[in-house]
Amino acid sequence: MTTTDRTPDRAADAAHPITRPDAEVHLGVFFQGVNHTTIWSDPESGSQTDFASFERVARTAERGLFDAFFLGEGLRLRESRGRLHDLDVVGRPDAITQLAALAAVTERIGLVATQNTTYNDPVDLARRLASLDVLSGGRAAWNVVTTDNAWTGENFRRGGYLDHARRYDRAEQVLATARRIWDAWPEGPGGRVARVEEHGDLVDVTIDPTTPRSPQGHPVIFQAGDSPQGRDFAARSADVIFSRHGSVLADALDFAADIRARAVAAGRPEDDVKIFPGTAIVVGDTPAEAEEKARWVARQQVTPATALHVVGTIWAEDLSGYDPDGPLPAHDPVVAELGAEGGSSTTGARTHEVAARWRALAEAEGLSIRDLVIRVSGERGFVGTPAAVADRLVRFVRTGAVDGFNLSPWLVPSGLDDVVDRVVPELQERGAYRTAYAGTTLREHLGLRAVARRDGTGAAGAREAALARV
Amino acid sequence: MTVPPLLTGLDVDGAGAHPAAAALSGLAPADLVSGARLARAVRQAEHAGLTFATFADAALPAAPGAPASARLDAVTRAAFVARTTTALGLVPEVPTTYPEPFHVATQLASLDLAAAGRAGWLAAVTPGDAAPAAYGRAPVADLGREARDVVQVVRDLWDSWEDDAVIRDVATGRYVDRDRIHRVDFAGESFSVVGPLITPRPPQGQPVVLARAGDVAGPGRDGERLVDVVLVGGSGAAEARAAARAVVDGDPGARAVVEVQVVLDAEGRTGADRLAELDAGAAGPWAAGAALRHAGTPAGLVALLAELADDPAVAGVRLLAASLDADLPVLARDVLPALRADRRTAAPRGGATLRDHLGLARPENRFAGAARATA
Repeated sequence: MTTTDRTPDRAADAAHPITRPDAEVHLGVFFQGVNHTTIWSDPESGSQTDFASFERVARTAERGLFDAFFLGEGLRLRESRGRLHDLDVVGRPDAITQLAALAAVTERIGLVATQNTTYNDPVDLARRLASLDVLSGGRAAWNVVTTDNAWTGENFRRGGYLDHARRYDRAEQVLATARRIWDAWPEGPGGRVARVEEHGDLVDVTIDPTTPRSPQGHPVIFQAGDSPQGRDFAARSADVIFSRHGSVLADALDFAADIRARAVAAGRPEDDVKIFPGTAIVVGDTPAEAEEKARWVARQQVTPATALHVVGTIWAEDLSGYDPDGPLPAHDPVVAELGAEGGSSTTGARTHEVAARWRALAEAEGLSIRDLVIRVSGERGFVGTPAAVADRLVRFVRTGAVDGFNLSPWLVPSGLDDVVDRVVPELQERGAYRTAYAGTTLREHLGLRAVARRDGTGAAGAREAALARV
Repeated sequence: MTVPPLLTGLDVDGAGAHPAAAALSGLAPADLVSGARLARAVRQAEHAGLTFATFADAALPAAPGAPASARLDAVTRAAFVARTTTALGLVPEVPTTYPEPFHVATQLASLDLAAAGRAGWLAAVTPGDAAPAAYGRAPVADLGREARDVVQVVRDLWDSWEDDAVIRDVATGRYVDRDRIHRVDFAGESFSVVGPLITPRPPQGQPVVLARAGDVAGPGRDGERLVDVVLVGGSGAAEARAAARAVVDGDPGARAVVEVQVVLDAEGRTGADRLAELDAGAAGPWAAGAALRHAGTPAGLVALLAELADDPAVAGVRLLAASLDADLPVLARDVLPALRADRRTAAPRGGATLRDHLGLARPENRFAGAARATA
């Protein structure tokens, strides 16, 4: 969970100049499957496991001409203080397997699989991604994520083997190997399949690949890490970066400037990395109705039990006996810095700083524990009438802050309906959204340049050759 | 006749099971492995009334460097047709020797979810030095033992969620009952896995596990049956029937399926002529391996399958068609209808699980009622 407490300042948005007046908004959908983004307590909330729920969301997104449908992945169920975390949606399918089934019931939408580089063998991962890419007619993508923690490694043959500092080294070597595997196939008839050998310090592979190239050449590469290392990795190696900076325009512009600078430093054109922040949309017939619905969504997401859990994570103790509608604990956290534990995103948090900030905010605004957690639970996304939301989405894209948005519906499977039925038409009226898919591959939907081969042929061959150092 | 209907499986890999099938098909590699071609072959198999499809696989090509060796991952292929079929069992071949058992368990559970209970697993072994070089690991010396450990932990992981683990208890805010989700704490000879799985228990509880006779050292922990369906063969029908008899005599709960290579009279040519042409290809002659072989008329194949069907020890057959384009239409037109007419086979019912087809009960969860194990 993020602990930002910024809110959108719409008046300030107008100060940022339109630099791309013809740019179009792109949309993706992130089927979360974990975390308290997804409200499971509402009567409209369907199964989080049945294939039908995934199919409904994917088909709705395709009806809305979205670029992509995302699945996340975590290789061990989250725990809290040694016990399975039981308050949020949990339990999801293997991403590539599920996306392959979805590929047969969709026609155009991109299919993005989050896959970990630490606990996958490069030959298996490259082959499975290529298989999805071929079967889907060039619609696959790989959202590259890393982990170093030995806790996750307890589910795998190697156990915990990787130092934190080297998790992106492994990722670079795995990605480089995958690209060579995807490039091994001859372009025309009569050629031979090249043998791939990679003998880095973290990857040791000798293989004759079996997977032909897909219509888009390689799966598209997404990257989601927000650390400086993650940003550099994206700037060097990714086609799309999936950021958190998607509600506050000034913040999103800062992030975009940082990524573009890093891309240029890596020898790429500054617009070579597309930026897709994760966000959410809540619409209503009037501004007041939308605000009311957004408040309702937030309270459904942050249940009393979740509020006590979130605060208990920073205090590193069980606060389930506290009143969620009462004040924060009077005492300070006993543990000063949180260790790596249970798949938590609070690793390394300096608890006294967080507690002091939260206490000040709660006192200044008269917030209960639950109100406070709602207040600090990340950015709230876009709230308003369909027309107002559309205006802001267009502004984000045309000021150059983002290329598109990756939306997390707060209800599954119906949560995307409002966006597709009400916001997309507004965007189309503004000339800022496609009215039909122009291409068939994800690479085409995203407006990415063609893949260069390792031998330097193809449109971007020189650039790719320059990047071939990993 | 009180013998249950013969289960009929067909391998749907590539151009066919003969090693020269792809090269002789003239198909470009991208067409050979395309989703459209795969979906068509599987649809024809379902329409023909077959019980299950297998997806032969290996991470490494039969002929390194040859584009005719094009092949996609088997679980991904099976998943792709999960929603284009409604009755056919889907059985990808996934090796036990080098892949990660945790990923294998997740992928197969996910296939079973997408296919509404029609998933199986042909658990294979990978001998040789090429695979360890691909994975950057030392060769596994004892393939059977490794297969035993991998199948065991995959079965444990499939049970790590109880069926009713998702409670959605609004009053307490709990989505799951953590007492119904269990660590597996498996420690094998060469690896360990703590669990639980990241995927809820699949519809069949335990997807069906198939393996060639002798590949998986058994039994499992506390005598557990690790392989539900044993693939057998022999030099002739009598020997194959004896092999099937040995399987069910050893374990009456197991099922025996006979593998049969098939080259039928098709496209105006005899099966023998077609086989000769295929065997003359660069890939060399088709090794019989453990499978039976029928090269000849559809009627001859009907007679062979009828003999197998009438033996109570034989639960089914896995047909390895030399060429899907040539042999599958003949199977659909001349072979399976004759067996159905004699009530020796039955088309699978839509909505039934693969376990249902095999007469295997949905198993209890091994962890049900166990004390919470995530502490």
